[in-house]
Amino acid sequence: MKKQFPALIPFLLLLLMTWVLTAVPARAESTRYKRTVEKYKLPDVVLINQNGKKVSLASMLNTDQPVVVDFIYGTCTTICPVLSAGYTNLQNRLAASGQMPRLISITIDPENDSPNVMKEYLKRYRAKPGWDFYTGRRADIDAVMKGFNAYIPDKMSHYPLNLIRSPKDGSWVRLFGIMSSSELMKEYLQVSGK
Amino acid sequence: MKELGQSLIRKQLPRLVTAALATLLSFVVLICAAPCQADSIPPADLPHSEIMRSGEKMYRDGILPSGAPMLAYIRGDIEVDSSAFSCSSCHLRAGLGSFEGGVITPPTTGKKLYQPYRRPPSLGDITDQSGRVIYAKTIIERPAYTRESLATAMRFGTDPAGQVFNDVMPRYPLSDRDMSILISYLGTLSADPSPGASSSEFRFATVITDDVSQSDRLALLAPLQKFIAQQDQQLKMYSDFNKFGYAPTIDMKYAFRSASLDIWELKGPPESWQKQLAAYNNNKPVFAVLGGISNRDWRPIHDFCEAERLPCLYPITDFPVVSESGWYTYYFNKGYFQEGDAVGRYINRLETLSAKKTILQIVQDSPIGTALASGFQNSWNELEHPAVTTLTLSAEQLRNPSVLHKLLKKHKPGVLLLWTDAELLPQLPKLISLIHPEGIVFVSSGYLGTKTVSVPESVRDKVYISYPYRLTPYVGSQDGGFDAKVPILTTFKDFGDRRITSRSTTMLKQATLRGLNLLYDDLHRDHLLDVMSMQMDLTVRDYERLSFGPGQRFASKGCYIIQLGQGTSPALLPRSEWVIH
Repeated sequence: MKKQFPALIPFLLLLLMTWVLTAVPARAESTRYKRTVEKYKLPDVVLINQNGKKVSLASMLNTDQPVVVDFIYGTCTTICPVLSAGYTNLQNRLAASGQMPRLISITIDPENDSPNVMKEYLKRYRAKPGWDFYTGRRADIDAVMKGFNAYIPDKMSHYPLNLIRSPKDGSWVRLFGIMSSSELMKEYLQVSGK
Repeated sequence: MKELGQSLIRKQLPRLVTAALATLLSFVVLICAAPCQADSIPPADLPHSEIMRSGEKMYRDGILPSGAPMLAYIRGDIEVDSSAFSCSSCHLRAGLGSFEGGVITPPTTGKKLYQPYRRPPSLGDITDQSGRVIYAKTIIERPAYTRESLATAMRFGTDPAGQVFNDVMPRYPLSDRDMSILISYLGTLSADPSPGASSSEFRFATVITDDVSQSDRLALLAPLQKFIAQQDQQLKMYSDFNKFGYAPTIDMKYAFRSASLDIWELKGPPESWQKQLAAYNNNKPVFAVLGGISNRDWRPIHDFCEAERLPCLYPITDFPVVSESGWYTYYFNKGYFQEGDAVGRYINRLETLSAKKTILQIVQDSPIGTALASGFQNSWNELEHPAVTTLTLSAEQLRNPSVLHKLLKKHKPGVLLLWTDAELLPQLPKLISLIHPEGIVFVSSGYLGTKTVSVPESVRDKVYISYPYRLTPYVGSQDGGFDAKVPILTTFKDFGDRRITSRSTTMLKQATLRGLNLLYDDLHRDHLLDVMSMQMDLTVRDYERLSFGPGQRFASKGCYIIQLGQGTSPALLPRSEWVIH
């Protein structure tokens, strides 16, 4: 196999270049994330957003729009940037059709992530209104993670997860893995029924 | 991964061929019109220093030499602006990679890239390990890169064997010139080992200034010297293992090196410290400064370490340099600044305080008073409140009751911040009678020290105290065993305790040693800081929680606001969370 490889390289490169530069929609078929539909019993907690405002988790979810939730932190490498770039892209794509998705990021490093840190983070990712980042008491953050069956005792062992709440019945689409922009868009539109 | 990539390609072949034909022309223009070897030649018109400067800007900040952000793509269609997260976000400052969230980010220095590489095993290699195989799989082994194949890797996400990268690695459509600059920078990144370390030895120093008492000096040196002795003891054990025929694992051989500790004594005025430090370091360079202690502003030592790119790990100081850009010194916390900062955040959250707007800050003209006031002003400004009235008084003025009485009658504050030493405590009942009837007072346990407990009982319900240490019982292993920890509950007796030995021991054993062991044979100071920043949070004796992260330089983020219970052995009553947002 290895011996045949040099001959294949130009061809492989051509195909990969095609994929990279044209964003072939067929890619979405090769799903590399895990999708399940779940029901969660969430804790009654109050979190603090990037503007320092206290907001209850229940009121964040009390909307007739889908709500997307992820867990990230301000100084994260590897996974959070990808999740957040996914949020930025989703906002941009939906903005084109006049939609403003409700996006929620919850920190898993509440000691470090003050409203100021979170505000800077959102600025860095060119977040538009509709994307809020929350911190809070460590115990409350733990309770939220547990409520979503996403508890990790330490931020360094986290994983990529997007959760989309259906406004119809309060069920959640749980998406585990790194998603392309088209995939996240597709899942979002499916939940929104549009 | 290779099989996976090929199978994907097979499945998508018909669609891909159509797309490929449609875009072939643009590839020809984009890729082939430029000289094929363009990536392999550093730009001839730029001096080496300029290439390095631009390359570093691309690597660390995601900014192209033109000043525009470096664009990239993830999973084909997620457009990423690299000024949000850059190469160094994942590969870290030293370029030797990271491990987070089950994903291994491999080294990206020229030294590592231009030779074959096999990465250490990862959780992501095990199928169905929490489902991580879905996203965490990374390439295990690859052949050596060339400059050309490296450019291909960054543009198209494939290694020299054609293996496709993990999805978290963006693809960068860089021009030939920009690519060449970045590749040249990677060639020099962590190219040479740092001074003070070799395959058999680490040389360390610690810094002690001449204002430190003999007992504090010993409290620092005891854990440091024990740490060095243990390193050497382990080295002997390791030699015995070898002697008796035990073959060490690959990892094990990196964990044992002899260690030495120099004491860098600094004498005289702080302006002369940098010169003294330079003389010590030139004479015998060290790999890192372990701890250290001073009662004065740490800035000259901080600045020296920044300039020399010398890690300084957890010195005992209440006057750290609080900055967003400091890189080389890891601090326990922000010292007095942190206490003042916490008070600002606490007052911001007070919803019932009717006279909240009239805040008077009285600052004793001293480094401690100044640091507390500066911390308060920092959070108060950040929370977008208008500036408060601040009066700086000398110790003599503070001892004169009529001065303070006059001021309080004039301002009638609802909140009085008293950043003074304990000499003022007996005056508190009278002072409090002069402020707003519903008014409250804030003081610093750091400044009051052991005397904090002497806040007069009659006004304890009005007095709030900043306290930057652990209050709750210490949680160790619940089941006993080797790591069972002694439960402790903080009491009034802990006021004024600088915890020099316990804090230094914690950081040496739990943070520094782990960092040193994870260096393997990559003996770079930046790498030590990188691996130490990626460690898991710690539950320790002195603080509620220590947390880390790339760029985070203050491990403890908390400070309680407490009140005292009644009696001569008062309970410490928390009135805030550990971290106040």
